[in-house]
Amino acid sequence: MKNESTVVERIVTTTDSGTLSRYWIFSALIGLLFSSVAGLLVSLERIDLSSGSIFSTTDEVFQFWAAHRVALVLIAVLPLMIGLATAIVPRQMGASRLVFPRVSAFSFWVWLFGALIIIIGFLANGGVGTPEATSETQSVALTLMGVLLTVIGLCGASISALTTIVAGRVPGMSLLEIPAFSWSVLVAGTMWLATLPVLAANTVLIYADLKGRAPVNFGSEQVIWEQLSWAFTHPQIYLWVLPLLGIVAEIISVVFKNKISNPFLFAAIGLMGLAGFGAYAQTYFDIGTPVFEEAFSIIQAFIAIPAVLLVIAFISPKIKDIKEFDKRATTPTVLATLSIILLLHGVVVGAVHVIGPLELATRSTVTAQIVLTLGSGVLAFMAAFSWWGELLIGKPIRQQKILISGVIIHCGVGIFAVADFLVGFTGQNDFTGLSEFTAGTKSSSWGDALNIASLIGSSLIVLGAITAIGVCIKQVLSKTPATGNPWDANTLEWAPKEKEEVA
Amino acid sequence: MTTVLPPAPLNRPRTLMVGTAFVTSAALMFFGCLFAIYFSIRSDTLAWGMEWFPENAISLVPGGMNMATLTISVATMGWSVYAVKNDDRIHAYLALILTALMGVAMINQTVFYYMDIGLPIDHSEAALLLYVITGAHLVMVGVGVFWLGLLLLRAFGGQDTSRHRDLVSAASLYWYAMVFIYIFIWLFIYIGK
Repeated sequence: MKNESTVVERIVTTTDSGTLSRYWIFSALIGLLFSSVAGLLVSLERIDLSSGSIFSTTDEVFQFWAAHRVALVLIAVLPLMIGLATAIVPRQMGASRLVFPRVSAFSFWVWLFGALIIIIGFLANGGVGTPEATSETQSVALTLMGVLLTVIGLCGASISALTTIVAGRVPGMSLLEIPAFSWSVLVAGTMWLATLPVLAANTVLIYADLKGRAPVNFGSEQVIWEQLSWAFTHPQIYLWVLPLLGIVAEIISVVFKNKISNPFLFAAIGLMGLAGFGAYAQTYFDIGTPVFEEAFSIIQAFIAIPAVLLVIAFISPKIKDIKEFDKRATTPTVLATLSIILLLHGVVVGAVHVIGPLELATRSTVTAQIVLTLGSGVLAFMAAFSWWGELLIGKPIRQQKILISGVIIHCGVGIFAVADFLVGFTGQNDFTGLSEFTAGTKSSSWGDALNIASLIGSSLIVLGAITAIGVCIKQVLSKTPATGNPWDANTLEWAPKEKEEVA
Repeated sequence: MTTVLPPAPLNRPRTLMVGTAFVTSAALMFFGCLFAIYFSIRSDTLAWGMEWFPENAISLVPGGMNMATLTISVATMGWSVYAVKNDDRIHAYLALILTALMGVAMINQTVFYYMDIGLPIDHSEAALLLYVITGAHLVMVGVGVFWLGLLLLRAFGGQDTSRHRDLVSAASLYWYAMVFIYIFIWLFIYIGK
C-alpha cells in the first residue's frame, strides 16, 4: 500500500530510533549554542566589574547567567547524551528499536516544547527568579513550566532506553556482558530517574506557590534559583555527563584492539554514578549535625576523584598496546582523551572548591567546575559522533572537521575554566552582578586579565558550538553513502540493522 | 565480514513491567522529595514554637476514608490480575470496574475535602505543601483510573488474556505504588498533622 503521509506527518510521527536520535542531537546543539551565547554575554559583562557594560540591571545579568546553566544541562548536554543513547543502545542490545518507540517519540516532542518554552521564558524577562525580584511573574511561571516539560521528556526517553537495556537485550546477553556505553547509560539513566523527579517536585512546588497569588516562600523570586541550583552544580553535574565514561571505554577498547574487563570498569562507573547523586544538596534538607553534614559533603566531593581515576586505570593499560593503534581512529581517540582530561580536572576542582578554609564555595571556581564537567560531556559527544557518526546519520564522517571543532571547544573550556578557577581565589563571586560589591572583589589588573581570558574562552566555546553545528549539518547533507563499519569493530552496534517503524 | 544477527523479539513479556517499575520509581522519588521538604520545614517550624497546621484544620475522617477506599482497591486490583491470569473475563471486568470506581471515589472525596477544608493554599508553607502533595497524588490516582479505563476497553475487546496480561500486571504495580504513597500521606499529614 502506498504511503501517503506528508513530510510534516513523517517528521512528527516517526518512531525510528535513528531519526529520533538525530532530532535530539540537532536540537541539543542549538541549545548548546543558546547556552554558550548566554555565557558569552555574562563573560562580556564581567570585564568591567564596577559598572554595567551591556546589561543595565543586576537582574538582567542574573537571567543570562542562570539561562547559561539551565540551558547547558537541560537543553544541551543531557539531550546530547539521550540522543546518543536513543540510537546506539538498541543496536548494542541487538534490538531493532527501543522497546517503547512511541514513548521515545513523545518524550522528544515534550522535551522540545519545554526547551522552547524555557528559552522564551528567559527572553521574556522570566527565568528562574532574580535577586531583586524584577522579573515578570508570568514569564517565570512559563520558564518553570518549560523546566517541568523538559524533565518529563528526559525521564520518558531515559525510561525507554533503560527498559531496552534491562528487558530488550538479545537472549543470552547478561547485564555484565553489555557494552560499556550501554552500562554507563544504565547507571546514568537510573540516577537521572532518581534525581530528575526531584527537580520536577521542586519545580511544581515553586510553580504552585508562584501562580496567581503572593508567594508563601517557595515562589519568592529571590529563592527560586536557590531551590533549583543543586541540579546545575557539583556533584549533580557528574551524573549528567556519566555516559562519557562508557563512550571513552568503547573507543579505547576498539582502537587498541583490547577488550576492557567489564566488572571492574562497571563498578567504577557505578561508583561515579553514586558520587554524582546531588538531590540531597537542597536548601531545605538538613542531613544531620553540622559535623556529619560537612563530612558527608566532603566524602561526596572526593569520591568522584577515585571513581574517575579507576576508570582511567582500567582504560589506560590498553594504551600500551600502541602498536595496535588504528590511525584512522585518531579523531575519536583524541577527543575521548581530551574529554576525560576535562572531566578529571572538573572533579578535582569540584573537590577543591568544597574545602572550607579556601572559601571557594560561592566563588567563580564554581563556574569553572561546571564548565569543565559539562564541557567534558560535550567533547565526549563529539568523540561519540566521530566514532558512531555513520550509525547516527548514515553518512561517512569527515573526521578532521570534527577534530577541529572539538579542539576549539576544548581550548575554550580550558581557558575559561583556568581563568575562572584562578579568579575565584581573588574573591570574585560565582555571580558577579553589576557592581564591585556584588562581584565580591574590586577591579584589579590581575582579576581583569583573568576575566578577559574567561571571555576569550567563552568566545571559543561559541565558535566551537557553531562549527560543530555546521559540521553536523554538512555531514547530514552529504550524498556520500556510509561505508558500514569504518573501524572494523566487532561490537553488536555495527551489525547491519533492519529499519523498522511502528505502524 | 560482519554477521547479520536477527533482531531481538519485540514485545517481550517483561518490558511493560520493567518500564512501569521505572515510572513508579520516578514517582516515588518525586513524592520522596516533597515529603523530605515537608518534614524539614515542619521540623523547623515546630522547633521555633510556631503552629504547623491551624487547630482543627486537618480532619482525620476524609483521610481515613480515602485510606480505607484505597486499601480495598488493592484487593480488587489483585483480584483483577488473578482473574485475567485465569481467563475469567467476567470477574476481570468486575474487578477492574470496582478498582476504577474506588479511584474515582477517592478523587471525589478529596476534591470535596478541598472545598470544605477552609484552608487557603497561600495560608502558610504547611497549607501549600498539603495541597501540592495531595494534589500530585490526586493526579497519580487520575492517571491510574485512566489506565484502568484503557484496560477495560482492551478487556471488552478480548485483548487481556492469561497470555497477554502484562498490561494488567503493570497497571497493578502502578496502583500498588500509588496506594503505598497514600499510606505516607495518611500517616504523616492526616494523622501526624
